[in-house]
Amino acid sequence: MSGETRIVTGRAYRAGKAQTWLAQNPLIALVIVFIALFLVTGAVQPNFLSVNGVRNTLLQAAPLGILAAAQTVLMLTGGIDLSVTMIATGAAYVAANQSPNGAGVAILAGVLVGLLIGSINGVGVAVFRVNPLIMTLAMSGILLGLFTAWTQTVLAGSTQVAPFIKLLGGGAWMGSVPYSVLVWGGVALVVIWLLRRSGWGRLIYAIGDNEIAVRLAGVRVWQVRLSAYMLSGVLAAIAGILLGGRTGAVDLQLAGAFLLPSVAAAVIGGTSIFGGVGGYTGTILGALILSVLNSLLTFLNVGQAIQQMVYGAIVLALAWGYASLTRRS
Amino acid sequence: MTNALAATRTHPALRALLRNSWVLGVWLLLGALLLWYTTLIPVFGPFQITSITKNSLPLVYLAIGQAIIVIAGGIDLSLGALLLLSNVIAARFMEGQPVGVVAAIGLALIVGIALLNALTGYIINLSGVPDIVVTLATSYIWSGLALWILPSPGGGTAPEMRWLFTGSPSGIGGSYWPPLLMMLIPGLLVALWARTSRPGLTLYATGSNRTAAQLAGLNVRRAKILAYAIGGAMAALAGLAMVAITGTGDPRFAVGASATLNSVAAVVLGGIALTGGVGNVFGVVATGVTLIMLNPILIAMGVNSNNAQVIQGVLIAGVMMVGGLSAVLRERRS
Repeated sequence: MSGETRIVTGRAYRAGKAQTWLAQNPLIALVIVFIALFLVTGAVQPNFLSVNGVRNTLLQAAPLGILAAAQTVLMLTGGIDLSVTMIATGAAYVAANQSPNGAGVAILAGVLVGLLIGSINGVGVAVFRVNPLIMTLAMSGILLGLFTAWTQTVLAGSTQVAPFIKLLGGGAWMGSVPYSVLVWGGVALVVIWLLRRSGWGRLIYAIGDNEIAVRLAGVRVWQVRLSAYMLSGVLAAIAGILLGGRTGAVDLQLAGAFLLPSVAAAVIGGTSIFGGVGGYTGTILGALILSVLNSLLTFLNVGQAIQQMVYGAIVLALAWGYASLTRRS
Repeated sequence: MTNALAATRTHPALRALLRNSWVLGVWLLLGALLLWYTTLIPVFGPFQITSITKNSLPLVYLAIGQAIIVIAGGIDLSLGALLLLSNVIAARFMEGQPVGVVAAIGLALIVGIALLNALTGYIINLSGVPDIVVTLATSYIWSGLALWILPSPGGGTAPEMRWLFTGSPSGIGGSYWPPLLMMLIPGLLVALWARTSRPGLTLYATGSNRTAAQLAGLNVRRAKILAYAIGGAMAALAGLAMVAITGTGDPRFAVGASATLNSVAAVVLGGIALTGGVGNVFGVVATGVTLIMLNPILIAMGVNSNNAQVIQGVLIAGVMMVGGLSAVLRERRS
């Protein structure tokens, strides 16, 4: 009797220990979720469990992952950017417009558009202290109006991107590794290095944690914020150019569907929307999970309505699970 | 200067006026815009008043709901999706029904969607996940459900219901009194309730300092659920107004998303801080109408609709920049 009790407590103790370990390494939990979803998708569609399936997942996740990188950096400062998808669309348009001048000019022009719009967002939020939700929301409306008008005038007819951009968005290196995944890998390395190793990254976390303390420590907070929004604009532009390359043709709905997933990927990955907590590694896993989920729902062929409901329910469940897992530690 | 200050300290009416100066400002702005609009178009009569009031009803309802939630310290990105849900259920089940059934469906929708959103508030309390994330996820669930109930635009409602929100059984022209009253009565009631009743003040206390409110013995969890329930009820009303205005149901995701974002814009322009605990609900009625009115005004000025959207965005950002800058300057001076 007493022996049995001891075994039960022992088992409970071990379970508690495993939970503590998971709570201290929440990324492991995300990896488990990702693998589980991947296997379920494989069970639904056996062809998915192949190099091709992995490649498609990565190809889908790349633009989302880059947009979510922008969202992660801003959320760490306590901000958010609701204009990322319109920046991406705009950058893709400008890149398509400049495509006759060569791919290099086209990409540079697209990135410059992102930098410019990001700077305006940054000035609004950092200098004029507009709430980031409102500033980027207004910017999104402005961009939608501008680009709708411009597609009939100055940008008219520019819907095709240069061959090199097409290769970058949809092609694969040595026929196996998609170029867009390589770009994503590069972006990931830079963002992770910036956040973890650079002084700028430490300031990003510090501002999200306690802005007043950082200001009193003598930091020019507005400069850090402004630079974060500029980075966000550039990242959004890169994602937009990749998307434009993948689809080959550019239209105003190019990136629209990515707005909520870009926030969701960062949140699932454990970045706090209030700032100061999180990182890009989790966001990468979040983007992967969401794109596998997307494939799964597509394979199940349940129709858009059910797809949306399941998507929302799973995002909620993942965020809830992550919150309860990390709160216990 | 000192005398003026002393006078404001002693005179309660003036003090109340100063406290609500932002609300007064946005109503004056709306009045000025209306006056300007009358000079822009050749004929300004009951038809224009009806059209402005009825078209702004959905946004005004949604903004009132959002305002209550924001005052209680939350934010609800699913209000637009709840509007869709209410809109499609109403359109699908009210078509060809007698008035009694239509009224029953309308009431059931208001209560049902209020309960649904109260559940969202409960989940936020229980999970500890930020409001913005939970409501982002539920917005997918509700708009998916809306699409499932009504896969393509269609359906309809009773003429009496259309009269209630538009002033005419066919939804065209008609008297401006029904939509005007349908806008002002809920706005005034919710604003008064929030500022004078015990639960309403609990919402303000919770939004302004959750810990302090809890330590003072208020039930902050119940306050959040209550705020979300009211938000849900207002979203249901917005959906009903939508079906009355257009005469059909529309399940498109984009309609809900843009309605949500406009409701947040109206709330912020109405002087309600997104940090919670500050502001008056009645101000968002004016900013909701203003946001809807900008479009016809700009079009009457000969601006095309794309540029109108740009100008609307610039105006929202501009107003917020002026507000932010003046706050910074005030901080510097003190």
